[in-house]
Amino acid sequence: MTPDLPTITGLGSVSPYGPLAGLIPQSSLEPGSITAWTTAGLRRAFLVKPFRPASVVPGLKTRRLDRLSAWALVASSLAIQDAGIDLSQFDRSRVAVVFGTGFGCAELTEAFFQSAAANGWSGTDPSTFPEGLANAPASHVAVFHNLRGPNITVGSTTFAGESALLQAASLLRHGQADLAIVLAGDTLTRAVYEWYEAAGFLSPACYNSEPLPEGGGFVPSEGVVALVLEPAGRREARYYAHLSSGRWAAGGQPVETIRQMLGGSVPSLTICAGNGAPCATSSTSALAREIVGDNAAIIPPKAVAAGLADSSALLHLLLALSSRPRSGQALLLGTSGESGFAALVLELP
Amino acid sequence: MAMVTAQDAVANLDCESIAFRESGVVMASTVAGLSEIDPAIAESPAAWYRQGGLARAASYPAACVADAVGEHLGIRGPRCAVSAACASGAMAIAMAAGMLLDGAAPMMLAGGSDALCPFTLSGFNSLQAMDPEPCRPFDQNRKGLNLGEGAAVLVLETLDSALARNASVLAVLRGWAMTNDAFHTTAPQERGEGLAACMRLSMEMAEVSCDEIGYVNAHGTGTPLNDIAETNAYETAFRGRSHPIPISSTKSYFGHCLGAAGALEAAIAITAVCCSVLFPTLRLTDPIESPGVDFLRGEVQRRPLPLAMSVSAGFGGSNTALIFGGGGS
Repeated sequence: MTPDLPTITGLGSVSPYGPLAGLIPQSSLEPGSITAWTTAGLRRAFLVKPFRPASVVPGLKTRRLDRLSAWALVASSLAIQDAGIDLSQFDRSRVAVVFGTGFGCAELTEAFFQSAAANGWSGTDPSTFPEGLANAPASHVAVFHNLRGPNITVGSTTFAGESALLQAASLLRHGQADLAIVLAGDTLTRAVYEWYEAAGFLSPACYNSEPLPEGGGFVPSEGVVALVLEPAGRREARYYAHLSSGRWAAGGQPVETIRQMLGGSVPSLTICAGNGAPCATSSTSALAREIVGDNAAIIPPKAVAAGLADSSALLHLLLALSSRPRSGQALLLGTSGESGFAALVLELP
Repeated sequence: MAMVTAQDAVANLDCESIAFRESGVVMASTVAGLSEIDPAIAESPAAWYRQGGLARAASYPAACVADAVGEHLGIRGPRCAVSAACASGAMAIAMAAGMLLDGAAPMMLAGGSDALCPFTLSGFNSLQAMDPEPCRPFDQNRKGLNLGEGAAVLVLETLDSALARNASVLAVLRGWAMTNDAFHTTAPQERGEGLAACMRLSMEMAEVSCDEIGYVNAHGTGTPLNDIAETNAYETAFRGRSHPIPISSTKSYFGHCLGAAGALEAAIAITAVCCSVLFPTLRLTDPIESPGVDFLRGEVQRRPLPLAMSVSAGFGGSNTALIFGGGGS
């Protein structure tokens, strides 16, 4: 292991599994019925059950925040707790926050449009405008933990989570931060769900209580996953994985590029982080088999994570780490379009 | 706007080269495709999509701007959106520089694009942040900002790469830094400590002293709170300098172009270095009293300018500083 490799030392999440520090105990999870808005018949999704953030993070005040910001605060706090970090021992001007999201604060954007529909453009709600900006969750994380380093919110079609993780690693590598809180997530709203529906992206499982079929669309999901990323060897700490290298691109020759990244070796585990069809026949799984062979250990995309679409990568990673993988090299792999890919090479303890 | 601007930015490049084909894109935007969405979506999203909104809503994620640029130019490197409110455009350039150093792509297109739309007009109006008259950044009688729209894209590559292909180097990004106030989601810290730290860090990276910076293109929105916090930040960051730091806000020309502002102002800072010109703030008659700051006003000044800084800040407390030197530096 190379000293100073970016290393994941803490995990926190607010997901359909609930708010959790560390790994997620494995259990099957079925989509729940949507009740937050009126639907024409049964509509299902992987939903975060309502909870009181202050019951998870004592002292946390989230009454004025949307769910995405509240979840970012809870997930980041749980990740910091899981990493065993006392932030008072850190120079907080050297702690970065990097957040990856597909839709940002869609709830408040919708609320702003509702106030415009009700009152006209001259009567919109001033409280929802700045809070609806996509970087509001990262900003709240900075204010709550007094983190004064770089604060970046990124989006990337399919690869928002991977992009956030790689940007954070870059900040550590270039000495622009000593520690980074990396987050990725989205909330499910009516406008987002109905957009998926109108575009024909949804699985039949969204409309009935049958078990999830293999392929044929996806079941939307929601949640935020947070990681603590720090250079290896700076302190005595348990770790989940080192990030050895990473690449993402909108096109090219993924097989050759990723094989080069792996240095000719076959990873002990390949984690498919596709968004869309959560099944062994997904394009990501097919690419994984082409790269590592049919006999290698491949975890196909998980439905609950795939439902997070652009911001799915960190939940895929968390679920894979929670499955108690073998030690050695792991590949986190995503695909987009015809030849777009994201590949992160990790070293597991 | 982003596609047209990017097309202009690459006009002198060999678009068949491998480096170009594998280049990446980092584009900032605060509203992206929100300009395509209207309040009717709130009544019944499904009905709005059926009535033609489906394709328009697809441009809502900020990532669509980077995708549009990448698809338009036929390039296939990494594509990324940045949303850090009004610091986004400058942050896109800083992030692209980091990606170049990481080897993520041989060349990066970085910038920002934001179209004026009812959403932003209404939002800033609800915050009572706008001046109904032309704005007056850094004036004691400033009353707020003017919104604008636009796009700017920079082509970044390593100096070695540019020299190897005999490129005309417009400027060298000598240093950059990003910080956060960790203070409030909308209000700046009155002492401007986060912004001052950001400027100091960028000078450390560039390995230059505060005396060597010849001009700062300021964030300078014209709002009462921003401009005083920013002025305080200059006093702190440039303390010890032998003469006041010349600054101006070119938002007095273009308005506040939000996600594009930082990229547009970086382009202006580069122009200042290339052409040895310092642009004054328009309508600045009674500057904030600040002994360490030389608020440029009146006529355009012509003087050699080895190094210029561009400073951006935004809602959420994000700050970014970029330092540009001449192509020969």
